[in-house]
Amino acid sequence: MKDFMMIFIGADYQELGLSPEQLQERMGKWFAWNDKMEGQGILKGGNALVPVVKHVSGPNRTITDGSLVEGKELVGGYYIVSAENADAVVEIAQDYPDYDLGGTVEIREVMVFDK
Amino acid sequence: MENKIVDHLFRHQYGKMVAILVRFFGFSNIETIEDAVQDTFVKATLQWRNEIPKNPEAWLVKVAKNRTIDLLRSIKAEKNRFNKISSGASAIVINELFLDHEIEDSQLRMIFVACHPSLKPKEQIAFALKTISGFSLKEISAALLTKEETIQKRLSRAKKTIVKNDIQFDYPPAVDVEKRLDRVMEVLYLTFNEGFHSTNKTKLIREDLCGEAIRLVKLLLKKEKFRSGKLYALFALMCFHSSRLSSKINYKNEIVTINDQDRSKWYFPLIKIGNDAMNKTMEYDDMSCYHYEAAIAVEHLKARTFENTNWNKILGWYNKLYDLQPGVFTYLNIAIVNLQLNKLDVVKEMLDTIVVSDLEQRSYLYYGCYADYFFKRKEIKKAISYLDKAINNASNNLEKEYLIKRKKELLAV
Repeated sequence: MKDFMMIFIGADYQELGLSPEQLQERMGKWFAWNDKMEGQGILKGGNALVPVVKHVSGPNRTITDGSLVEGKELVGGYYIVSAENADAVVEIAQDYPDYDLGGTVEIREVMVFDK
Repeated sequence: MENKIVDHLFRHQYGKMVAILVRFFGFSNIETIEDAVQDTFVKATLQWRNEIPKNPEAWLVKVAKNRTIDLLRSIKAEKNRFNKISSGASAIVINELFLDHEIEDSQLRMIFVACHPSLKPKEQIAFALKTISGFSLKEISAALLTKEETIQKRLSRAKKTIVKNDIQFDYPPAVDVEKRLDRVMEVLYLTFNEGFHSTNKTKLIREDLCGEAIRLVKLLLKKEKFRSGKLYALFALMCFHSSRLSSKINYKNEIVTINDQDRSKWYFPLIKIGNDAMNKTMEYDDMSCYHYEAAIAVEHLKARTFENTNWNKILGWYNKLYDLQPGVFTYLNIAIVNLQLNKLDVVKEMLDTIVVSDLEQRSYLYYGCYADYFFKRKEIKKAISYLDKAINNASNNLEKEYLIKRKKELLAV
């Protein structure tokens, strides 16, 4: 088994201006997904990120304010799951609730150097 | 019966949910939070009328999580960061709050807040019972033998104080931990005693009070930074007492004194746990009243029959206890032990120096002791007249019934 990170990009609820009811429905799906993965014992951790961004870039260390970052590029958070291979994670990611809002799941294997 | 199970579950869940939500939204929203949790239970009761879900606890947790989202909308938190769910991944954070160890952490924080020095001692207990243990107003008033109105006032004053002083939902700063922990132990000790000693309440509430106190002490013991000989001793003491909780009242709901309890019914697994905790106290240098009280409880448990009780040893512990913390009840207990040792002159001398009003609601114990004294002196008439005083001053019906029964026995002598 290997560790994979599922990175959630886009689907910024604030920017999309979801109604309270929609918000509630979405969160219900997230909770259900979380419970499902926990039930399968594959969930190893995760974090949500505050949508305030500062970019530091270039030789001059130019600072860009977060408000310029578009919601559809914004990383909202990540989960780390344990799976056989990337295909298995693709399967897991089927339950991500926000595809219809333009959200994306990026799947990356966590690098490990074996002895 | 089913309703009782549900009540019980609600009570336990209430404290957990309030703690989690307060951690999330802050104390300034505690009223809203309490209403929301209450509302969750009302809805559950309606929905469960026909069928209780297979896993009611999971059901409640699910509802509570959704409640969090609900509250996010309605609560205008001053702190913007909690005001918004920015993306679905926020669910991860909320989920974590509902993990067992995080719930425990939230409840521990709540205990420390409940014992904040800006709250009056009586408010601390009421607030703890309500917010941590999920007791209803009615139950708290029954448990503390205080009017509901008074409890209500204490609760609202406690909440106001917490909000006004902007007390954070957190552990006290390192320098204050020890002092605050002392108060936490005191509150838990008092909660336990309310359950153990007072009989004017249903068995369920009695056992719940004791159970809650033990649960919270156990919670404290889980964190290394809170462990001390004192805390282990308190835990041991509660275990020892609890082991004979169910032998204290017989099937007719009458009091059975330690003289007449069926010692084979004492619950040995708890005694074992208590013993282990006592051994743990050896690893620490501190000494406390709880150490001595636990040692006294052990002596009672060790005796196979009441007649085998090692009263000399018990007297020794009581004397040490009195040296550490002089108090009228300890003094009265020393007199009672001397009575068992038949040192009647000492008993008389001691009883005569006690100011009865210091004993407040428990003055009947004093008169009861005097009655026993005269009984031993074979002055039955005087014994009966003191029993009458005890009966008149008994604070609850079970005590009264016991004393009346005793009087009948004396009259038959």
